[in-house]
Amino acid sequence: MSKGLFKISPGFEDVMPAEYKELVNNGPYGKDLGVSDLGTFKELIEEHPLCAGCAEALALRLILASLPNSEDTVIVGSTGCSSLLFPQVAVQNIHSLFGNQNAVATGLKRALRLRFPDKVKDVLVIAGDGATVDIGLDMVMQSWFRRELITTIMLDNEVYANTGGQESGMSPQGAVLHMAPLGKKFPKVNLPEIAREAGCAYVATISPALPRRLGKVVRRAILVAREIGPSYVQIFCPCPTNFKWPSAQVLQKIRDRQKEGIFKVREYVSPEAEAYLAGLEVVKQHDEEQ
Amino acid sequence: MYVTVKVEVEKCNGCKLCVLSCPDPNVLAYKQEEKHVVVNEHRCKGCGLCATVCPEEALTVSGN
Repeated sequence: MSKGLFKISPGFEDVMPAEYKELVNNGPYGKDLGVSDLGTFKELIEEHPLCAGCAEALALRLILASLPNSEDTVIVGSTGCSSLLFPQVAVQNIHSLFGNQNAVATGLKRALRLRFPDKVKDVLVIAGDGATVDIGLDMVMQSWFRRELITTIMLDNEVYANTGGQESGMSPQGAVLHMAPLGKKFPKVNLPEIAREAGCAYVATISPALPRRLGKVVRRAILVAREIGPSYVQIFCPCPTNFKWPSAQVLQKIRDRQKEGIFKVREYVSPEAEAYLAGLEVVKQHDEEQ
Repeated sequence: MYVTVKVEVEKCNGCKLCVLSCPDPNVLAYKQEEKHVVVNEHRCKGCGLCATVCPEEALTVSGN
């Protein structure tokens, strides 16, 4: 893969869709753009097919804007609302069976390291809470135990949303959902803590209500997974459709949950990862001064 | 077109919070030269998040 892949072959300029031409001319490939630059460049996703006001769609948009190396990134997705987004995304991506995403990403990362030993190839897993904490927890944790150099991002919408609203391991205790009318009997799984114990070098929880911080967290997670060890980011984006919130209130509801302490912004960086990130900052500062 | 998004450009302070809060790409864009946001209503699903987060109340979303 290279930036050349996204260029238009000579003679085909007239027949290519306008969106593609715009992506080639004004896209983020090869540029150092981030969340703060949103609205000024052509994004990697054209339109999302999810519900109006979906915080998960917003989270994915922010993730895509934060990729440090979008032209050499492969995203592994899994079944769920998020999988409906990927056909519109202009980044290499693979859809895996429900729960298998970290096993697929492991194989992919190893193959890319063999095939392109001199190039940086980021492998990113983006999956929902069902694929990460319920059905795929086995594969997710085993990849952390093996210290695979991949970033796992969970879009925590707290419910199996696209199948009608069954409770998931990440639904909060007492949550009454369309297909869980008696309310959930046990609390949310503490996956960030499990990730830390399982060997992740970088673990963070964040929400799209803090877009710039989300961008920073995703970038740090990907950078740590290049050299140090696996990283895990949990993005809190509860489903407005299943929790029956007005779509315009989603971000406010997330902020309210943060105030109530149901969701906490947290970041764990291992000492090795901290030293590595500090080194990168020094290099960047030096480059800027030159 | 089912959704109408009105931007009162004189109220817009260019903070870009609406751009960062819109789940749909390509609906809101920031015009560097004019220092205000512009809207593409054809892509808008009408969730109203942009109007909720705008500190200057420069955006109004109507329709269904």
